[in-house]
Amino acid sequence: MIKCVIWDLDNTLLSGVYLESATRPPAPDPVMAGVLEQLRGRGIIHAIATRNPPEAARYAEQALGHEFAAAECGWGRKSDAVRRILADLGLAPDAVAFVDDDLYERAEVSLAVPEALVLSPEDMADAPGWPEFSPGPVTAEARRRGARYAERRRRQEEARAFAGSRDEFLRYCGTEVTIGPAQAADAPRLHELSVRTHQFNTTGQPVAEAALRALTSSAAHRVVTVRLADRFGDDGLVGGCVVEAGPGGTWTVTLLMMSCRAMGRGVIEALLAWLARSAADAGAAELAVPCLVTARNVPLRLALAASGFRAPAAEGSPGPPRLATFTRPLAGPRPALPDWVTAA
Amino acid sequence: MTRPLVGDLAEILAQVTGREELRATSAQTPLFGDGVGLDSLSGVLLLREVHRRFGVDVAAEDLNLDALATLAALAAYIHEHAPA
Repeated sequence: MIKCVIWDLDNTLLSGVYLESATRPPAPDPVMAGVLEQLRGRGIIHAIATRNPPEAARYAEQALGHEFAAAECGWGRKSDAVRRILADLGLAPDAVAFVDDDLYERAEVSLAVPEALVLSPEDMADAPGWPEFSPGPVTAEARRRGARYAERRRRQEEARAFAGSRDEFLRYCGTEVTIGPAQAADAPRLHELSVRTHQFNTTGQPVAEAALRALTSSAAHRVVTVRLADRFGDDGLVGGCVVEAGPGGTWTVTLLMMSCRAMGRGVIEALLAWLARSAADAGAAELAVPCLVTARNVPLRLALAASGFRAPAAEGSPGPPRLATFTRPLAGPRPALPDWVTAA
Repeated sequence: MTRPLVGDLAEILAQVTGREELRATSAQTPLFGDGVGLDSLSGVLLLREVHRRFGVDVAAEDLNLDALATLAALAAYIHEHAPA
């Protein structure tokens, strides 16, 4: 499923060459602009990779009336621009499409980033009809996705200019994390997270909406939601988990997932700390997080390591995909919860 | 052998976090927790840069990411696993 389209500008998103325009820059290509608008309505985000000065991206934003999630302007390789956008937006290579009118650029990106879907503008005109670009029911949260990435760009620009620790920056941003029990009405968004999250996902398995709704009323389970907001924008429901209080004083997190929007913002660490505190308060001796370890959920493993979780070393090397159960003993002092976290 | 590497790694750490003061990170400073406060985002950037510069894919081999305990641990891990 494609989450992001990376557009070339000259003769692709624009109907001409930006730097060759004598008087005024070329207008947007009407067909490509229509495709962009259609995909935006489906929650697909958009980025720019162009061999032009940064003014070209600003012009395109203005001409199209669309704030892009990321813009790479410069004369380096397009594949490097694509990789920087992937890293910046926390996307996997197979979640992006790259559109360029230039055959050489398409070949270069295809070779260097083989997982990406590389398309000509002619292909792209048909793309809204393809399953890769049809994510099924789109929640209100997903429809706001493009705007959220634009908020993220502004947040990152301020972060680069900020002198101080990450914690000080989170406070400066007015970060608010709210952790609380899921309601049945949260099921569609939780289902969507189960489909769309990879970097912070312990199972890699989509969970049906009905199954999630049933879990919210199950006495044997706790379904937890995590909401995130700061002064740049309200990200809404960004994560969740399902917990089973099992025998032997072990709390098992059977599913844990978090949007990559929350990455680098202290949210997954806050959830893990909250889980450890809640489990300890309930008298549990251990918190367990079974995980399908993949090449993609390294960020999840980093958060687990940073929060004091370990898996038995005897289970060998992590890849290719394999199961490992990360545990954290609950004896000793309870982990601190930052004061910007509210337990609802 | 691993000694000069710690300085390179501190440099990379400062780069990926955008925090100049981390250039002075000592070999034995814990990377997780207070101080450096390595998190999922800075951790991924650090691992990616290590993979690119030294050809060692720490995440693929080290399940618990013990190599990220300190810069000394990371330097030793790279030294042991670097392609000949």
